[in-house]
Amino acid sequence: MHIPDGYIDLPLALLFGALAVVVLSVAAKRVNGEISDARAPLLGVVAASIFAAQMLDWPIPGGTSAHFVGGAFAAILLGPHLGALCVATVVTIQALVFGDGGLVVLGANVFNMAVVEVYVGYGIYRLLVPYGEFRAAFVAGWLGITAGALTAALQLGLSSAFQYQLLTTLSIMGVGHLVLGLIEGAITASVYRYLARARPDLRPNAAPEVSA
Amino acid sequence: MALNRPDWLPRALAALLVLTLLAPVFGWAAGQVGYAEPLENAAETTGATEHATAIGTALFPDYGVPGLGGATGTFVSAVVGTALTLLLGAGIGHLLGADTDQRQ
Repeated sequence: MHIPDGYIDLPLALLFGALAVVVLSVAAKRVNGEISDARAPLLGVVAASIFAAQMLDWPIPGGTSAHFVGGAFAAILLGPHLGALCVATVVTIQALVFGDGGLVVLGANVFNMAVVEVYVGYGIYRLLVPYGEFRAAFVAGWLGITAGALTAALQLGLSSAFQYQLLTTLSIMGVGHLVLGLIEGAITASVYRYLARARPDLRPNAAPEVSA
Repeated sequence: MALNRPDWLPRALAALLVLTLLAPVFGWAAGQVGYAEPLENAAETTGATEHATAIGTALFPDYGVPGLGGATGTFVSAVVGTALTLLLGAGIGHLLGADTDQRQ
């Protein structure tokens, strides 16, 4: 889902870059001064684990690949604002150091993965958590990544490089990630359930200072 | 300035090491079967592939290291990227920490 330079028209790239800056600035203000020294390393560990997990490309029969993106996972474990900053850190390092995703479109990539996936995933989780944490985490991961992919498809489909074929980009990206998102949901729910049982002190309700 | 190191940190770092060791394995497996993400499929369908450009030069392009073999380069990239992300993330967490303002 990392869009390279040249795929999105410049005005769109600038618009979504500006939106990403605004949202992340608000997120930083919301959590500023609210994280204990004991929990500060958790942001680094979650970001690093998302980076490492994104390097694991799962080959899917039929010539498709999927990898964990982790937006909903970060949001559930850290709270949405810190989760957004966490994923933004990952996406930025991937672009600057590894050339994964363009530089001009960095803001758009951050918006898709660190804003849309994180906040949509967290919203779904909060909505469904009365029906069970595991189910809520699964659907959050599944639909969170699909929402991020649809936003990317919107940006691509409104750009000249894709000949403004919005329906094509929406259908390929949307359906593709709706299917691949099942893996994202499964990993999100499984890892969260393991952590919640092994270290209940890391759950968001155990650290309300980094929750919404 | 004494940092309060949580007791879960050593196990978390061990888990990160396992993930970095798995990176070359998954990279090899994916390379064997050939794969594409939906974004690449959409680009191919609409003829956008030729518009992709690379601005600037990445230090570790495509998660590899120039001059090193595929698996070794992938592993080095995984270690460097994981360590960078860990340090930057923890640094941001510390900057946003509750005690930072009080120490001033």
